[in-house]
Amino acid sequence: MAGWGRLAVRVRNPQNFYGGLALVGLAAIALIATAELAGIEDARFGAGTAPRIFAGLLALVGAGIALAGLLIDGPRIERFAFRGPAFVIAAILAFAMLVRPLGLLIATYVTFMVAIMGSNEMRWIESLIAAAAMTAFCIGLFVYLLKLPFQLFPAF
Amino acid sequence: MFELLDNLALGFSVAFNPVNLLFCLIGALVGTLVGVLPGIGTVATVAMLLPITFGLSPVGALIMLAGIYYGAQYGGSTTSVLVNIPGEATSVVTCLDGHQMARQGRAGAALAIAAIASFFAGCVSTLLVAALGKPLTGLALLFGPAEYFALMVLGLIFAVVLARGSVGKAIAMILLGLMLSMVGADLETGVNRMTFGVLELSDGIGFANVAMGVFGFAEIIRNLSLSSEGREVLNAKVSGLMPTRKDLLTSAPAIGRGTLIGSLLGILPGGGAVIASFAAYTFEKRISKNPSRFGRGAIEGVAAPESANNAAAQTSFIPLLTLGIPPNAVMALMVGAMTIHGIVPGPQVMTKQPDLFWGMIASMWLGNLMLVIINLPLVGIWVSLLRVPYRLLFPSIIVFCCIGIYSINNSTTDVLMSAAFGVFGYWLSKHEFEPAPLVLAFVLGPLMEENLRRAMLIARGDVSVFFTRPISAGLIAVAAFLLVLAILPMIRKRRDEVFVE
Repeated sequence: MAGWGRLAVRVRNPQNFYGGLALVGLAAIALIATAELAGIEDARFGAGTAPRIFAGLLALVGAGIALAGLLIDGPRIERFAFRGPAFVIAAILAFAMLVRPLGLLIATYVTFMVAIMGSNEMRWIESLIAAAAMTAFCIGLFVYLLKLPFQLFPAF
Repeated sequence: MFELLDNLALGFSVAFNPVNLLFCLIGALVGTLVGVLPGIGTVATVAMLLPITFGLSPVGALIMLAGIYYGAQYGGSTTSVLVNIPGEATSVVTCLDGHQMARQGRAGAALAIAAIASFFAGCVSTLLVAALGKPLTGLALLFGPAEYFALMVLGLIFAVVLARGSVGKAIAMILLGLMLSMVGADLETGVNRMTFGVLELSDGIGFANVAMGVFGFAEIIRNLSLSSEGREVLNAKVSGLMPTRKDLLTSAPAIGRGTLIGSLLGILPGGGAVIASFAAYTFEKRISKNPSRFGRGAIEGVAAPESANNAAAQTSFIPLLTLGIPPNAVMALMVGAMTIHGIVPGPQVMTKQPDLFWGMIASMWLGNLMLVIINLPLVGIWVSLLRVPYRLLFPSIIVFCCIGIYSINNSTTDVLMSAAFGVFGYWLSKHEFEPAPLVLAFVLGPLMEENLRRAMLIARGDVSVFFTRPISAGLIAVAAFLLVLAILPMIRKRRDEVFVE
């Protein structure tokens, strides 16, 4: 790695190095967030005791993994795919945003259509029909069969 | 003995109730479906269906969810044999010999042996659950907070030892799960912890959100980024479902051994169906007089893992029902299902709700019987399902998951949270962190904290209590021993070999 050149340190196992560092980061956030909470008093655990124990241990183990990533060779991190994950997440977000204002019917249909664009084999006509079928199935199951309190249509 | 029969009679009267029978059938059908379809795991399915069980009776709900778990073990073998893709992680090893048998025109025999092996294992392990229920519940009464804490430590260590890949990373996942489970209001003092001022977080991170994210959404994201290789369903007509006499004779001992290994690994915390099937296959190959037959269509290579995974799926209910401790991720979800219905898993279930306890056990046997019928004569239907392309399957799963999560609390925050965990799960997989220990620890976290707190309070803050009480000391010693075994590099290498084979 160019930036580290002079120190002659090389990340030998990026999976472990960056993975371990991220865990240390998460543990640090937890330690900061629980810093104000009560600790042990007269053998009585405070609200902060257990979280701090777990976060502390996580920081140690995470640091260990990161260190091992510097010393021992290992596989590279595979490239993160973009298209698939982006559409999957967009579909879930669309559902979360649409289900309240527009009702289950539209939310389900849109979610299906957004999700299916994540596939690079998507075909329009087939998708439009499948989305309609799935929407009908879900409404039949959740609203009519299970009688869950969903709002079906947009509220005007 | 008579008591056992009495109890089983009670169980069957509950299980034979038409409504419960229906739920058992639905569970078995859904289980077979997700088992057959690659790309949908058992954990994700159970998580998906949690909200559906809301409106059901507790017995019906649990019967159905249990049916999904062991049903998936049956269905997984169909895909392994016919397509050479494991329908379920538990059927990975079944591909090796099962698909070879199919290529030699013996697909029918392979499927039949898989079903017979599963059925036999299901019957034996159902009896085992029934027989071990009472004594283990008695044992649970001897347990104080220190013992419970020690037992959970042992369970988590087992999960570490049995997880694939690096021990250190599995430990990290356990600790991360424990830490995440602490988010939300402290049960004892009511103080908000790590909520960062977000109101929704004071109830804690919902378990369904985590499970759906790291198992459901993350799996879909991962599958989408793989290149879509065509699934080639073996088109040769499945004929000759009846195995020959010779098939039965060669596979009978393998079925027995597989059942034994599976039952044991199912009971152990951290074990479960996946590990059981690997262990049974490896064992069978090792003791075989002619190991070179394996991988070329040896019928034992189908019989042993298929009996083992089914046995393990069922015996893993033992620690949950008797001690209240989930031994694996699916059982952790069962805890969630029980909690939804106001049932606290543990020894008191058997005494306070005998109909639930015995009804579930009896339904397991009935479910197994149904599964033989669902899987053998109807195998053609399931095969045709495999022709549904993944590009239509995954949006359906996403839609289903979204509605499911939303309906738990009518909360859009829950949906967003599970999306976040989906991304996180994808990140974990890129860094080769296993999500299963994380989810297990996430469920055990609050229980562990509570018992640790109580143990320390009773002992007036003296940590040595865990080492001076005999049961607790024994459990901790076993845990420490296992951890040392796992960390010793030599043994780790051998452990990795098991999974490479």
